[in-house]
Amino acid sequence: MGLREDLNSFYMLVLWDLSQMKRRTVFVVMRISWFVLQVTIFGLAMNAMVRFRGIVAQGIDYYHFYLFGVYSSMLFSISVSKAYDVAEEFEEGMIEYLLSLPIKRKVLALGRSVGGGLAAFLFTVPMFLVIFVLLGSFEPLAMLISILAALVFSVGVTGFVISVVLSLKSSDTTDIFFGVLDALIIRLSTVFYPAVIIAKIAPYYYASLVNPVSHFVDLLRTLFFFEEFKTIAVADPYLMMAYLFGFAAGVASLAIYIVERRVEGGGWK
Amino acid sequence: MKGLEVREALLITLRDINRFWKYKFWLGAQIAMNLADIVIFAVIFNNLVNRQYIPDYVKFLATGILALSTFASAFSIGREVGIEIRREFTHYLLSLPLSRTALVFGRIMSGTLRGLIYQASFIVLAMLVVGMPTLEGFLLVLATSTLLSASMSSLAIAISTSTRDFNLQATFRSLTYYILFFFSNVFYPEEVLKQRFPSFLVTFIKVSPVSLASDIYRWAFHYYTSIDIQFEALLLTAWTTITLLLASLLYMRNLTKI
Repeated sequence: MGLREDLNSFYMLVLWDLSQMKRRTVFVVMRISWFVLQVTIFGLAMNAMVRFRGIVAQGIDYYHFYLFGVYSSMLFSISVSKAYDVAEEFEEGMIEYLLSLPIKRKVLALGRSVGGGLAAFLFTVPMFLVIFVLLGSFEPLAMLISILAALVFSVGVTGFVISVVLSLKSSDTTDIFFGVLDALIIRLSTVFYPAVIIAKIAPYYYASLVNPVSHFVDLLRTLFFFEEFKTIAVADPYLMMAYLFGFAAGVASLAIYIVERRVEGGGWK
Repeated sequence: MKGLEVREALLITLRDINRFWKYKFWLGAQIAMNLADIVIFAVIFNNLVNRQYIPDYVKFLATGILALSTFASAFSIGREVGIEIRREFTHYLLSLPLSRTALVFGRIMSGTLRGLIYQASFIVLAMLVVGMPTLEGFLLVLATSTLLSASMSSLAIAISTSTRDFNLQATFRSLTYYILFFFSNVFYPEEVLKQRFPSFLVTFIKVSPVSLASDIYRWAFHYYTSIDIQFEALLLTAWTTITLLLASLLYMRNLTKI
């Protein structure tokens, strides 16, 4: 098969993943209500409770810091929820069907990662727009790069999720693995607290430094409020961007390796 | 309920408790989340909070998580009861040689026990992190957990059986869960809420069952010393009585009408 057929297959897989979005109306309603309560009740109460002055430059309060965190944690959780979809596909025999199609496995892995990541990102677009409005920041370049970063991040997380579910081949193990992972990754990142605060506890700090969620959320913060957040980010913005691309490319390669070399139909527990 | 009905309700309870262990993976993830809230989130956030409002956030949250854990676990019974309504498994339950009162109370009792079982390890953790309560305090913790767990399991059962539609069931359950979760003082104290929100909202949060339970736990573990404990305990009892009554009637109705 030539490049043209591969691209066509890739396109069809992405479209297929996007078409699955319709099935998730309840999920969207739940996420939107969670988001609304996070940015109103929870965010405002946390803002009143913390001492943020002295940590960042004046003019920026914890609420600004927190809004990016809420968005990042939501994008991460929605991307991770792809695990449950893939597990369901395995139970319904959909994975075997996909494996039997005349599509290169490399294309299959990439198509599912990109399609799943794109679907996860599209779910969060309205919330991303609300964040821009709440921050009162509409810098075109920052918006463009942040959208690109969000897309790369969600594709990376989806690629990782697909690799793990296809390796575990078990609904129960998938449930606990991603439940625990979601709980730990968000809390061990700079979603709720800046790196300088986490630095007081060394193991948590090192975990947050290698955590892609930290790089994504701090990249968003520095894109919109560079002067205010540059000193408390986990790294330089270029490094954070490179880290995100590296993460996405790395997990996409892992997904390709697993789908090409390891995955066979059946054996689902 | 008569003696025989109590026995029947106990049988239903035991059956549901046995099924609880089927969800060990859900339980594992839930425990990880609640533990991560205390040993990661609270420990780090403790360095960020204003000490004027919260002198020790780890102790504050460890006692709040007690309320959250029993609430989340007791609420899980709603999911199962909802599935039964959807798959018409309720017909089988209704055909069993037991009274409907026994069935309804058995389900609520099992939801209550699930909450208590799940919470046990977090009580031990709170004792290690916050300190030992007095005997009176310990008994109050047990009574509070039973009340909160009973009201939350009955509420979840009533919501989940109000419709056959899976999407609506999940949406109603999640919305109720989020409202009880966010509109509570588990993560933030009353003084902070007073600063930011209108008084009616602060009052609404203060009298929610999860907030009342958190306050009582904080008092029992000596974190709070100046709350009107009798009033709060009375209010939680009133909440539980009303919820139990309404939810039992609704479940009884929904078993045959939905």
